[in-house]
Formats: sequence, C-alpha cells, structure tokens
Amino acid sequence: MNNILAKRNNQAWWYIFPALLLLALFLFIPALLSIYYSLTNYYMLAPQDRQFIGLLNYINLLKDPVFWTSVKNIGQFVLFVMPIQVGTALGLALIVNRKRPWNTFFKVSFFAPVVVSLAVTSVLWLYILNPDQGLLNNLLVKLGLHAQPLLTSPKQAMFAIIGLSAWQGAGYQMLIFLAGLQNIPTELYEAARIDGASKWERFLHITLPLLKPTSLMILTTTFIDAFKLIIQPMVMTQGGPLNSTITPVYYIYRTGFTDRQLGYASAMSVIYGFAIILFTLIQRKITGAGGDQNA
Amino acid sequence: MRNPRKFAYTIITTILITLIALLFLFPLVWMIASSLKPEAQIYNNMDNIKAFLPSFHINQWGTAYQSLLARFNILGFIINSLIYAFGVTAGSIIVNSLAGYGFSKFTFKGQKFVFGLLIATLVIPGETIIIQKFQIVKLLGIINTPWAVIFPSIAAPFYIYMFKNFFDAISSDVIESAEMEGAGTFTIYWKIMMPMAKPAMATVGTLSFIGSWNDYIWPLMVLTDSNKFPLQVAITNINSTAPVYMNQVMAILTISTIPLIIVYLFFQRYLVQGLGVAGNGDK
Repeated sequence: MNNILAKRNNQAWWYIFPALLLLALFLFIPALLSIYYSLTNYYMLAPQDRQFIGLLNYINLLKDPVFWTSVKNIGQFVLFVMPIQVGTALGLALIVNRKRPWNTFFKVSFFAPVVVSLAVTSVLWLYILNPDQGLLNNLLVKLGLHAQPLLTSPKQAMFAIIGLSAWQGAGYQMLIFLAGLQNIPTELYEAARIDGASKWERFLHITLPLLKPTSLMILTTTFIDAFKLIIQPMVMTQGGPLNSTITPVYYIYRTGFTDRQLGYASAMSVIYGFAIILFTLIQRKITGAGGDQNA
Repeated sequence: MRNPRKFAYTIITTILITLIALLFLFPLVWMIASSLKPEAQIYNNMDNIKAFLPSFHINQWGTAYQSLLARFNILGFIINSLIYAFGVTAGSIIVNSLAGYGFSKFTFKGQKFVFGLLIATLVIPGETIIIQKFQIVKLLGIINTPWAVIFPSIAAPFYIYMFKNFFDAISSDVIESAEMEGAGTFTIYWKIMMPMAKPAMATVGTLSFIGSWNDYIWPLMVLTDSNKFPLQVAITNINSTAPVYMNQVMAILTISTIPLIIVYLFFQRYLVQGLGVAGNGDK
C-alpha cells in the first residue's frame, strides 16, 4: 500500500515540472544572472570581452547623476500619485456607494479609464497635452487661461504623468474600496444615527476605521506598483525633457537594452530590485499578509 | 416634494458628480469622436463642444478607419495580439493548474520547500530583470518568434497559488473513489478537478488575457519584425510613422480598446475575484 502511495505521489513532479521550468528560465535564472552580470563589464556586442570587475559597477552607479535623477523622479511620482490616486478612489467609492439616480452610469464612467491600456493612455494623453494643438491647452485658452507647456517643461512633465496615471488607475481602486464599504454592516450606521452622530462623525468613527484594512492594502500595493513606472514616460517623453521623467526601471531598460551595457544595467537591477523587495516585505508586515496569503 | 431642501441637495450633488464623471470620460469620448471625423475637423473643433462629437456626416465616420486599414496591416496586428493573448491564456491555465494540482493533491519530499520557494518568488520585481530575461530568450534562440512573447508570461506563482487553493477545497473522498475505480492521476485532474475549477480558470484566464493584451515593453523588446507586432506595440509605431494623421491614431487607439471592453463586460465578476492582486496600472 505504501508503495502504491509513494508511486502515486512521485507523479507530483510531472505536474509541477512545466511551471518550475518556466519560472526557472524566466524568473530565477534572470534574477541570479543580474547578480552575476553586475560584477562584470559585460557589453552586449562584445560578450567575449566579459571580465570580472568586482564592485566597480556599483561604485560608478553611486556616482551616476542620471541614476540619482531617476531616483529623485520616482520619489516625486510616488509622493504625489499615492495621495491623489488613492484619495480620488476613496471619494469615488463613497459617491457610488450611496443610492442615487444614474448610479450605474457614474460607476461605469469612473471605471472606464481602467479598461484602456497604458500604451493607449500614453498616446491618447500625448494628444490631449500637446503644447500647441492639444485639447487641454485649447480649452484653457478658451477659458481665458494661459496655455501650459506640460510635457515639454521639465517642471511640469512629471506632474502631467502623475495626473494621467491617477486618472487611469483610480477607478480600479474604487472597486476595491467599494467592496470594503459594502462589508460594513448598515446596522452600525443606524445605531450611530439614533445616538445622534452627524454624517461626518459617522464617516470618521465608523467608515474610516472599518475601511482601514482595505485602505492599507490599497496604499501599499499602489506604493510598490508606483516604483515600477516605465511605460508612460517611455511613450510620452522618452524620459525628458532634461531627464525630468526618467525613472529607474526606464533607466535600466535604456542602459541594458538600448545602450547594451549589460553589466552596468544589471548592477542597477540588483540595487533597485532589492529596494522593491524590501518595500514588498515591509508591505507584507504592515498589511499582515503572510507569505501564504496573496501577493 | 415632501422635502424641498433634500431635493435641491440631490440635484446639486448629482450635477457635481456628473461633472466628475465627465472628467473621467472626456478623454475616451474625445478619442472615439476624433476617430469618427476627417483630420481637418479635429483641429477646427478643438476649442468647442464639437471636439467631443463625431462628424455630423455619418458617411465620414469610416474615413479614418479606411485609410488606416489601407496604410497598415491592422488585421495582422489584431491577429498577432489574439495569438499572443490566447497563447498566454491557454498556457497559463494549463501550466498553473497542473502545478496547483501537484501541490494540492500529492504529498512528496521537498514539497514545503518548493512551494515556499515559489511563494518567495512573488517578491521578485519582474520589471527590473527584463534585460537578463531578454538574454535568456536570446540564448534559447527564440527572439522574434511568438514563443518569445508567450513563454515568459505563462507561469505565475500567484495563479498556481490560486489553483492550489481551489483544489484544496475539493474533498479527497472524490479522488479516492475515482482511484478505486482505476482512474489515473491525469484522468482525475482532467475529468474531475478541472471541471470543478471553472471559476478559477475564468479568473486566471481573464487576468492573463488582459495582461497579455496590454503588454507593451516585452513584445517591443523581443520582436524585431514589425509584421509580428501586437496592437499595443503597433500603436506607438503608427504614431511615429510619418505622415501621422491624428484621426487615424485615434482610430487605432479605439480599435485596440474594443476587445478589452468586451472582456470587461463579460468577465467582470471574475476580475473582482482577482481584485487587489494585479495592482493598479499594469493589470
């Protein structure tokens, strides 16, 4: 009997194997390679000249002004997109959580941008924000305001990207907030109303505390996702003007893929990858999501 | 009206909320409207309400689409996108459910360790290792083939975890009685487990389809032949191939959004099951 069971259980590997093979090829090995390459001067066009150079890439990286600009840019992006996007999402969820005429229309409208891909969003907003013939500046002028350079201004470009990213993503988080709101028992609100609590007090003492787990989850996942920003600046500004929208992931892509400096790009992958892993682990700790919970 | 104050309040808030809704809708309305008019009209109408309305002559609606189809192999891009997306979706459902089954219904040496390792890989930010992933694909000699787009997107620890959870809930009695009747492990997987796991299949399928359809950077990296581009990469290509006509760009943006609208319409409830997992922008 034990033999039959052992034979049966050995079959497990056949089922796991395809997934393990693919994960090894496209996740484990690339991650290990990035550590190995980061210690070499690997140039993609001259693989035979690859030499071990120790920590030189890392030392150069610390002295690389573009890298630090990209870090500063992503810091700015995260700092602004978090409160704007999550705050908007919570506001939208509160709006559609109440019974009112046209509720489905509102819900669909707020969610609509989510359906559009990042590549489409980026190209679309390129035309909306175009300094000369863009939709937005035409409307601003019509309203008697000044036209803004937006994507061509080093001061404004990142804020334009922050704005459209929040516009694109808020509807998705609205749905998560909505699920959280609908889990709050209505009896709590009725009891509070009987006790004479005002609308604001009910929001402050019932809604917010009970929404805490949902909010924490949304805040932390937004935080980590924001660090991976690449498509919007890649399509819209190519990191410019004056590197004002270059992000670390985009800089890694450019260094490794366009400039073919594989060793140097790998060092960046390692440093930035570990930074994101650190944030992810902190996130797990904060939201109480253990390793065997969800991502 | 029993309560005029309340009535006025409802009206005012409804107007305000409608304005917010328009803020979310206007880029998309503008996109579709602009694709339905001649190039010159877009610029003429940019500063008035007509910017958000299609051409008043219905026979002009197809102009941008017709010229777009004549200039570029749009049908080819659509077929490419569909091949990649369905390839990833089918592969993802099969490979990840097999692994989920392996972890759920078998006990074997090293099981805890391997599963732990799998969960640990969830923290590796895939975006930071694309360059090294590209090296692997190059080494495998599949650059500029559909496999380069499809293979790396198939296996996902989170989907394995989802399938495992789903299979865990299926009672072992069902399996034991099937085994008594001589069913092999694969028969049990195919005839018993998978039919019961339809909701998990739908969720994983929806998420991988959307993820693959929207993928931009990876296909851009591994495909050199523009005939093999999926729509998302073709969009930016079309937007930079002179002469650029704005109404044609808006048409290609609209075309590449339609399949997603369909997926969201039909599979929204499965998406909600994966909520909070896929994060914000990159679904």
